[in-house]
Amino acid sequence: MTERPSLDDLELTLGRLLGIGVTLSSLTLGAGLLAALTLGNGAIATFLLTAGVLLLLATPIARVVVSSVGYAQRRDWLFVVLTLIVLAELIASIVAALRAR
Amino acid sequence: MSSARVQLTADASDALKAAHYTFDRPMPAVTIALAFVVFGSGAAAGGVGALFGIGGGVFLVPLLHVALGFPLRTAAAISLATVIATSSSVSAGRAHEHLINLRLGMVLEVATVAGSLLGGLTAHLFSEATLQRLFGIVTLLAAASVLSRVNRRNVMLDPEADAGSLGGRFHEAESGCVVTYRVKRLPLGLLASFVAGNVSSLLGVGGGVIKVPALNAWCGIPLRAAAATSAFMIGVTATGGAIIYYGRGELPALAAAPAVLGVQLGTWAGIRLAHRVPAKWLKILLVVVLLVVAALMFARSGR
Repeated sequence: MTERPSLDDLELTLGRLLGIGVTLSSLTLGAGLLAALTLGNGAIATFLLTAGVLLLLATPIARVVVSSVGYAQRRDWLFVVLTLIVLAELIASIVAALRAR
Repeated sequence: MSSARVQLTADASDALKAAHYTFDRPMPAVTIALAFVVFGSGAAAGGVGALFGIGGGVFLVPLLHVALGFPLRTAAAISLATVIATSSSVSAGRAHEHLINLRLGMVLEVATVAGSLLGGLTAHLFSEATLQRLFGIVTLLAAASVLSRVNRRNVMLDPEADAGSLGGRFHEAESGCVVTYRVKRLPLGLLASFVAGNVSSLLGVGGGVIKVPALNAWCGIPLRAAAATSAFMIGVTATGGAIIYYGRGELPALAAAPAVLGVQLGTWAGIRLAHRVPAKWLKILLVVVLLVVAALMFARSGR
């Protein structure tokens, strides 16, 4: 079997993306937690906490999207298809979640 | 301004009330003391995530549900949120080590996705107690497999060796050189990933506890690479289930927040520790973790 080209730079890009996502989410959730514990469960706390959770959930989805783009740039079509299958499942979860509301 | 705020608060409290109807028991109030306990458990989850590539969901769910009194589905939802945070944080902190096998991870993720799409399948076939007992048996087998190979190395010390289409190479601190590994018995890795996805949202776990031993003992992947690849995957595995719980109003952000913050501390410490622990000891520690998981599963199935 032949070896495929290295993905070291894609790994770094995805690592950076995941780091930014989880840091933003943690900061927002931390601010929300602080607001909830000091000011009470008001609008500010609710807004911050909701934003933090949405950032947390959006980060792995963004990772799959960026992976797909990364493989497309490398013309690695098999892996573009595989990432799109994973993305489709995540979108199906969002659709199911919206229906449950 | 003030009326707008009152309106927003009213909406939020309506949403909270609506969410409460689906709970099987009332949510415990998030006090500072509870937040600290949840923070600590998040830190522990982040630590095992950084060391072994498992998200800690198998420990968090019983802690949140049995010890802290969260409803089971809420416990699973908070656990999944913690798994996502662990995955993102560990992958971000370790990407520069190039231990994550992106292609292998992507192939296995498809199996995981298939497993979670058919998530109802195992739930229909087995009762929750049976599922926990099966999970316990699988974990015991995994512990035995890892233990029997504790002195066996999966790597080739030749940086030029052919890694195959899914294998990889990385710089290993212990031998000080670039090592190569190939992927063996891929179908077993796919099966483990399928099962991991299948039980993920039901049990509130990312499935790393099944995947890491399978990848290491059966598929010939060095423990560090298996752990990094699993840590990378579990975020996506957990996201599907977490989104559904969130949509149903079963993911309380206020209770998840301290867990996510704890993860940051745990992964920070775990990543630093991971460099210092030799692969052999990492395997022995993993066996201990697996035995605790199996004991927890058997204990829960008997409740």
